[in-house]
Amino acid sequence: MDRLTAPQIHPIKKLQILPPSAYKLPNGGDLFHLSAVEDDATKIDFIFDAGSSKNEKLISRLSGELLFSGTAKKSSDELHESIDRLGGFTNVEISDEEAIVSVLGLRENIIPLIDIVLDGIYDAQFEEREIKQLIASKKQQFQIAMEKVSTLARREFLSNVFPDSPYGQLTDLADFEEIDRENLLTFHRTHYIKGLQKIAVVGNLNDQEISHVIQATKKFDRSEDRPVQQSFNYTPQQIEVEKTGAVQTAIRIGRILFNKQHEDFIDFNVLNTILGGYFGSRLMTSIREEKGYTYGIGSGVAQLKNTGYFFISTEVGEQYKDATIAAIQSEIEQLQHELVSTEELELVRNYITGQLLKNADGPFAQMDRFLSVHKHGKDLSYYNEILTALNKVTPERIRDLAQRYLNWDDLIIIKAG
Amino acid sequence: MIHFERFTLPNGLRVLFHKDITTPMAVVNTLYDVGARDEDPSRTGFAHLFEHLMFGGSVNIPNFDGPLQKAGGQNNAFTSNDMTNYYDIIPAENLETALWLESDRMLSLAFTEKSLEVQRSVVIEEFKQRYLNQPYGDMWLEFRPMAYEEHPYRWSTIGKDISHIEEATMEEVKDFFHRYYHPGNAILCISGNFELSYVKDLVTKWYADIPGRTVPKRSLPQEPEQRGYKEKTIERNVPSDAFYLGFKMPGRNARHYHAVDLLSDILGRGKSSRLYKRLKKEKELVSEINAYILGSFDTGLLMISGKPADGVSTEEIEPFIHEIIDELQEKPITEEELEKIVNKVKTTNVFSEQGILPKSIGLSMHELIGDANGINEETAKYEKITPQELQEQAKQVLEKTNCTRLTIKATTNG
Repeated sequence: MDRLTAPQIHPIKKLQILPPSAYKLPNGGDLFHLSAVEDDATKIDFIFDAGSSKNEKLISRLSGELLFSGTAKKSSDELHESIDRLGGFTNVEISDEEAIVSVLGLRENIIPLIDIVLDGIYDAQFEEREIKQLIASKKQQFQIAMEKVSTLARREFLSNVFPDSPYGQLTDLADFEEIDRENLLTFHRTHYIKGLQKIAVVGNLNDQEISHVIQATKKFDRSEDRPVQQSFNYTPQQIEVEKTGAVQTAIRIGRILFNKQHEDFIDFNVLNTILGGYFGSRLMTSIREEKGYTYGIGSGVAQLKNTGYFFISTEVGEQYKDATIAAIQSEIEQLQHELVSTEELELVRNYITGQLLKNADGPFAQMDRFLSVHKHGKDLSYYNEILTALNKVTPERIRDLAQRYLNWDDLIIIKAG
Repeated sequence: MIHFERFTLPNGLRVLFHKDITTPMAVVNTLYDVGARDEDPSRTGFAHLFEHLMFGGSVNIPNFDGPLQKAGGQNNAFTSNDMTNYYDIIPAENLETALWLESDRMLSLAFTEKSLEVQRSVVIEEFKQRYLNQPYGDMWLEFRPMAYEEHPYRWSTIGKDISHIEEATMEEVKDFFHRYYHPGNAILCISGNFELSYVKDLVTKWYADIPGRTVPKRSLPQEPEQRGYKEKTIERNVPSDAFYLGFKMPGRNARHYHAVDLLSDILGRGKSSRLYKRLKKEKELVSEINAYILGSFDTGLLMISGKPADGVSTEEIEPFIHEIIDELQEKPITEEELEKIVNKVKTTNVFSEQGILPKSIGLSMHELIGDANGINEETAKYEKITPQELQEQAKQVLEKTNCTRLTIKATTNG
């Protein structure tokens, strides 16, 4: 038995992502539907123009959480009782750009569930008592989060990467005292009642059921995207945040970069993968697997509507913080000065291709892939562009990108511990 | 319904195969029948340390991750008190790469000093990151030894004392491997768009020559019936108080496990649960409250945990929790409430079977506790539960004498 020779690796032949069927909503928005689900699992996402960069962060987040806090006809308890009775689950996710209200349930119950959920969103009353209760628990969660070095580092990082943009705006404990019902109601009117942008349906629904979903949304308006005043300048610097008694230090390093609309995005993503984007990355190898300074370290590119940012993130033993930063710098400089081997590039190429295949496995994942390109004005052919680019990228190109975008002097470095 | 095939190799390896024609990916899931409960009380944290060492190179292959990633795959693992599970997700064309890697580390590890030294350090950082440097992070380290006096569930997977990891020797590591890491103590589950004969041929090729060893007999000290309320208050530098109540409950394979699971849902799953409605919305005594079970194989715990609202003490809350428990003991729940809870379980079960990874882990886990087909019988078990069984279990399980309580008092306010 020859165990020393690896089995032959077969290249991935094709990447197949089914495009969803597209419909128009009465308000001009879009509904996308993927029906290839084997069983009765059904998930519907309602996507609103209600992200946290649209207003004060806290107003946006609290409005999202108050969506099911009661209507004119149903109390919060009654609303949740009626959703639960149908075996339904709801989830509200607020990102910088949008609010996604998801409804999960079995197909047999999905139509009545949607009616309840849409009514709950549209007719939300935001009663004072509900607001007060929510603020009390959010304040407590905020205080708990502020005990974590990872939270402290992330806040300091974002506020310095985006000093002149809502993305960098920080919430403080005092902000909770300023919350006013009128502000919440205004936000709800502008960004929910007039803000339904898209619906994504994954489930084995028939035409009649899809028509029902479309009709059920006709009360919701859709105003045009409201751009926010902002600029994207930042000052590279090193900042330390003190947390007494912490046994680990959280480190965040990064800069403003770009999103997938930029011509360098796909190739930069290869560079990022090599540096810190997977378990076998250089940062993981050096700082975890060789030195044992951390449980984990990674890097990535976060994409926003008109920009993006690059970040490295880790938590290390307090005594290793400076050695870790030096090791990160040395890994970056190595990528700027030495060409990656064709072997390593080949490995990363195959790894990314495998990831693409895995991340597009099954209808739920395929809808996510579709939405993430649609958001940036692209279609599914983007994924084939990635495959083409992966085959073309060279060690020289990786080195050039590292030189252009990862200069140590251009980076913000945060330590919290 | 998840279909599967089962076969066993002469060396004792149990193999499951789930054919899924809809996916371009394959999963190789390897479950070893060893968890933190199997550890020597003076050498805890070994099962988990071992999970780390399994990535440090095997007898013929110096690096586990590299070849897998080169084949477009990725992997991870987790350790619980009951078991250790490893999985690889890889494009189906490259299934054999995963089998080559997994079979080699089942055959033997490289056991390098460097790997032990580094992973020891990584685990110590993991301990700091997850247990020490998080508010309430050490709660289980405090709770387990209170709730369990005899059973090895009294320590967490990270270990009861980090010195056990610091002092681990290569000899001990090797002994652990030889005892628990071999075909007869493992379940291999392969999922993907393959034919059974192809899977059999490949599994035989890579696993048949791994020597079988004696499967260790498990004889763990079982936890005696609890005979009284146990409580403890500790102080921590956290922003607000917190309380944790744990009630001993039947293990994963015992008769009333599913009924007690439903009891926890009635008490504290979601915003229409009894504790949430009464304590949070109506009385405004808590800022958060939840009930859930741990899902342990041996005698487990039904947990109720929460944080008091500002200005409320944990002592004020407890009578209201017991009031709700009393109601469950005195009066059967309505068919309507039962139907609501079961409907939520049905949705959860359907969603938990989306994708080949959860299906593969689920099949392996059910095979470990008796029969992989158990995954297809779960929902029916919940549907059979009656209001009477729930009332009886509420009387059995939710007794004060069966309860352990930990209170964390905040020493500062933010």
